[in-house]
Amino acid sequence: MEQTGNKSRLRLILSLVTAGIVVPAVIALGVSVWDDRRFYIVSLLIIVASMVPMALRFERRRPAARELVVLAAMIAIGVAARAAFYMVPQFKPAVAIAIVTGVAFGAESGFIAGAMIAFVSNFIFGQGAWTPWQMEAMGLLGLLGGLIFHRRDGALPKLLPLCIFGGLGTLVIYGLIMDTSTVFTTQSSVSWELLAAAYASGFVFNVIHAAATVFFLLILARPLLKKLNRVRVKYGLLE
Amino acid sequence: MHRDAFYSVHPAVNMAFFIFVMLITCLVLHPVIVGISLVSACAYTVVLKGRKALVFDLCLVLPFIIIVALMNPLFNHEGVTVLFYLWNGNAVTKEAVLYGLVSACMFAALIMWFYCLNSVMTADKYVYLFGRAIPTLSLVFSMVLRFVPRIFKRISLVSRAQRSIAPPMGKSAVKAARHGMSVLSVTVTWALESAVNISDSMRSRGYGLKGRTSFSIFRFEKRDAVMGSLLLLAFALSVWAVAAKRIYFRFYPSIKTVPADALCVIGFIAFALLCLAPVLVNLKENILWRLLKSKI
Repeated sequence: MEQTGNKSRLRLILSLVTAGIVVPAVIALGVSVWDDRRFYIVSLLIIVASMVPMALRFERRRPAARELVVLAAMIAIGVAARAAFYMVPQFKPAVAIAIVTGVAFGAESGFIAGAMIAFVSNFIFGQGAWTPWQMEAMGLLGLLGGLIFHRRDGALPKLLPLCIFGGLGTLVIYGLIMDTSTVFTTQSSVSWELLAAAYASGFVFNVIHAAATVFFLLILARPLLKKLNRVRVKYGLLE
Repeated sequence: MHRDAFYSVHPAVNMAFFIFVMLITCLVLHPVIVGISLVSACAYTVVLKGRKALVFDLCLVLPFIIIVALMNPLFNHEGVTVLFYLWNGNAVTKEAVLYGLVSACMFAALIMWFYCLNSVMTADKYVYLFGRAIPTLSLVFSMVLRFVPRIFKRISLVSRAQRSIAPPMGKSAVKAARHGMSVLSVTVTWALESAVNISDSMRSRGYGLKGRTSFSIFRFEKRDAVMGSLLLLAFALSVWAVAAKRIYFRFYPSIKTVPADALCVIGFIAFALLCLAPVLVNLKENILWRLLKSKI
């Protein structure tokens, strides 16, 4: 029941634009009502403002049962994969699986999958002030993966661009978002120096995480996508 | 698993409590408010987890407070009352020290509230709460929760089966990796196929048709209504005191506060009762239990 081509892309762009209006409004509100020190609340509102349209779009589309359950299975695989690697810090396959889901099912499902993997796996790793940030970061990677690599005919993407995207995305997008959240949730006053210090100290971890994403995309992306395609052909999914 | 008394209250009341407390804690940077929040969060962690919580509070949260509190005056030199100068000529001000301390306590209180939230707000409660607003997503959420343990069970099943049909695993890492990959591959295929089975089963039971009702284990009882409205009242009173600027504290450029009056004290008491609500509920249940036991 997926909306076809242009219309769905238009709606996606529309909701991105709405988010683009809501976000500055929230920042303005944050700066004027609680002086500019309440970074965390403002950023949290921004994250919520960007997630709500995605969630509502998904709800309004009323996806068919098959799509829902297969999506749930992919999310569960992501959660299980993250949990299985709990003893290795940062070296986690969850982002890779979010990206693969985006590639297979499109940007919107990619966002849902990424956000949901972060949310559910935090029942194992512990919810905290970082949960919304992680949801947003992983969701964004799933969304971008879908936007760039999703083909309606299910053609497999080239591995090299996918890995480059996964590595850079994890390093830059996921890394920056999470390091910013660390500063916002543990520093009493936020300055550019502190942010720079956080990015610098987080760099090694982000590189490990990015390497993990590239590694898992290398070994998992093709088999997973092939399996998804097989299920799609066998059961006539998502037509 | 032992659950505390507050756990058995309706999920909406649980969630409202955490939202109210966390909102006020992180929006009202006032030493008294933050102190109340910190102490009550600490008390509730102990009620929930006993000894384990004390270890968490003292070994993790306390060092966190000290480090964060020390960082602010080192990086931040706002404020008019200079205490002394650092080796690099930067001033350490009384305002920055106090601000660092109060906000460190605020972050610590939030960490502890999250610690409590993790053991009170279990996944089934989120499914129930989100079920009305975003039914499709919360359905996906509950399916994921069911899927994850099944996947782990399946992995061990497949792994044992593979070991018995394939030559026994050697010490070589390549062999181990190959074994792991084939187990994963089998499990993923199984997960996707069983997903299709589940969806067929859902469709044949009428998923997506009109007029279907859903079962939930939670009931909104009179005590939930009473507790909910009391929490709301306490929240409203504290917000009123803050909005009327009777609870007010300014750090920069110089520390400024307002003399305590009736509304201010009412605000503090209301917030304290709000924060201590779970502990009080537990206390009440404990006393009731003792009384009932002594009657036997």
